[in-house]
Amino acid sequence: MSLNKIIVSLLCATLLPVAISCKKKSGDSIKIGAIFSVTGPASFLGAPEEKTARMMVDEINARGGIDGKTLELIVKDSAGSPEKAISFAKQLIEEEKVYAIIGPSTSGETMKIKGICEEGKTILISCAAAEVITNPVTKYTFKVAQNDSFGAQKICEVMKKKGIRSIGIVTSNDGYGIAGKEQMEKAAAKNGIAVLISEVYDKKATDLTGVLTKLKAKNVQAVVNWSIVPAQSIVPKNMKQLNMDAQLFQSSGFGNIKYAKEAGEAGEGIIFPCGRLLIAEALPDNHPQKALLMKYKKDYESKYGEDASTFGGHAYDALIILEEAIKKAGADREKARDAIENIKDLPGVGGVYNFSPADHLGLDINAFDMLTVRDGKFVRYTE
Amino acid sequence: MAMKKYSPVLALVICVIILQAIASLAGREYYLTQLTMSAYYCLVILGLTVLMGYTGQISLGHAAFFAMGGYTTAVMTTRNLIEMQGSAAVDLAVRLGLTVTEKNAYGVEILHLSPWVSLVTAVCLTAAVAFFIGIPILKLKGHYLAMATLGFGIIIYRIVLGSRIFGEADGISDIPQFALAGGLAVSGDPALRVQNYYIAAVLVVAGVVLLMNLVDSRVGRALRSIHGSEEAANAMGVNVARYKLLVFVLSAVFACIAGVFLTHFNGGVGPSEADVMKSVSYLAIVAVGGMANLWGALVMGILLNYLSLRGYFGSYDEFVFGSILIVIMLFFPNGLLKMENFRWLSDAAARVINSYRARGGEGKDGLS
Repeated sequence: MSLNKIIVSLLCATLLPVAISCKKKSGDSIKIGAIFSVTGPASFLGAPEEKTARMMVDEINARGGIDGKTLELIVKDSAGSPEKAISFAKQLIEEEKVYAIIGPSTSGETMKIKGICEEGKTILISCAAAEVITNPVTKYTFKVAQNDSFGAQKICEVMKKKGIRSIGIVTSNDGYGIAGKEQMEKAAAKNGIAVLISEVYDKKATDLTGVLTKLKAKNVQAVVNWSIVPAQSIVPKNMKQLNMDAQLFQSSGFGNIKYAKEAGEAGEGIIFPCGRLLIAEALPDNHPQKALLMKYKKDYESKYGEDASTFGGHAYDALIILEEAIKKAGADREKARDAIENIKDLPGVGGVYNFSPADHLGLDINAFDMLTVRDGKFVRYTE
Repeated sequence: MAMKKYSPVLALVICVIILQAIASLAGREYYLTQLTMSAYYCLVILGLTVLMGYTGQISLGHAAFFAMGGYTTAVMTTRNLIEMQGSAAVDLAVRLGLTVTEKNAYGVEILHLSPWVSLVTAVCLTAAVAFFIGIPILKLKGHYLAMATLGFGIIIYRIVLGSRIFGEADGISDIPQFALAGGLAVSGDPALRVQNYYIAAVLVVAGVVLLMNLVDSRVGRALRSIHGSEEAANAMGVNVARYKLLVFVLSAVFACIAGVFLTHFNGGVGPSEADVMKSVSYLAIVAVGGMANLWGALVMGILLNYLSLRGYFGSYDEFVFGSILIVIMLFFPNGLLKMENFRWLSDAAARVINSYRARGGEGKDGLS
């Protein structure tokens, strides 16, 4: 291979990226960066988040922006890869000089870019759930998704009211189940509820009578099943076959009506914690979230022709929090950060937000309602 | 002779410097971030080029070796040894200077193993794993070798995804910087961007020089003879099994070193680094670079990784790499950057030079 050819190709390689990178300058608007895993293994989170964010920004701009300032949304698809999220976060902060970053969709990516945002003094509103994101609190990092532990605590409160003192826990062997098992055991210990047995099953299991028989032998008063897999419909069916009369609790993963339908008659009476999006219609008219939930559902479902999900709701909440901050602080990012810490009683999809310098989540366990299945439908659980 | 051999390397070094100068003068040093990341991925690709292009042994498991490097250093340097101080092992490590004390982002004092220790460990571990799995699987050929390496890649991906010590789906965050000698440090800190760009560039140049010499040596000729025909090579007295194993381990170590450095540069590592699609994209880049063509692999590696990391492919990233592989295999089985495809370019250049000479220009043709 002769030399000039090598030099030509090296030079091309040198100049191409630079040429491609030259970008047009944008007008007078506020740039919001978004990193979502629109594709890849976490696309069930990122895809509705991206759609919601685009819908919201279009809507805000259609009504003339916030105090005359339009929003410019820059969405980056990380495909759930932390290395891409890192690259994109640096790009958004240093090159685009964005006002704030929404996302990433997963906890792993959020933890990777948290330090970059803190260093770049850029507001990060994460759509991921892990508690470590805002505990300990750092200056610029906020999150909008409910903590895992809220659901477990909610379940324990109902148990105490029902006089349940001994339980058995079954969980799937995936990340969701493992985290849930840990949270549930912790919450039970805190509330003085005895965990007599804790079993893990394969997430692809199609029959769980073996596992449940062990629970039956321990005579537990209640069973908690924590998974997002079809086992959510298998557990109630198998419990019925085994004639177990223990009360069944499930995680917020049960918040998809298809699982209740599959469980059929056996699913009646299951109690589970869940955000309010699923039962928006059933909320009383004076509930602070009702109007917003109904609007989000209607807008999203008419625009995209698919069911609105809690995950898309995270992007919705991140944007209304930013909108609130921009209203108060204008283009000043530092003031916007302070403004977010002072947000009180702001209804969102995930709950009613109350931020403070010590609390960058702004939600407490009241973000969850307890739901139950009655006549094949989700309704609010009442004692 | 030696001069001519190394002049492409000189051109590469000049390109590296020009790029940095342009970026710095234009006030756009942030472009160097993704170039640095691409350079580390290029190390994997260079190693793979020698394995696949020159020796003809396919591997769909190199993302796994990369991840082994990244995760080894991540696990070893994020464990805070402060509460274990007083135990004999920790004290010995401190006394031997194998540890680093610093404050983390939350102001908590931490004592962790020096990344030099984890680098050496990672390289040894990866070499050992490559050696032991290499012995049985390099007996396979063609599709069977591809499948075996694919299987290995999936196993590593699953281990990383399923083990608590590796942070499961979340990976490992808050990885400290890697302080090299003389105040140099591998770190994502924007203030250290230029030096990190040069650290990555030096590694790539060193890798290229090493592999160039390897390819040009007796070993290199043996490797190419294996690519041609294993039976013939064997008959000529080439120890086929030994050479295949050697180059497999070498390319694994390249991937591992890249993994260690990129992990410290990024400050975090996730299971996506071990994903099989990552191996496929490495393979696609080797193919598009011309298989047995270190320079082609280098150019395409930088270019495609840079575009991918800057998000130009958007949601079509995997689609892009997949299609590249298909198109290359169908239409350019010898690679896009094979010089035959550029004959028109060099012809045109020659014509220009000739007409220049004909018009009586001073024939300073150091390049032709």
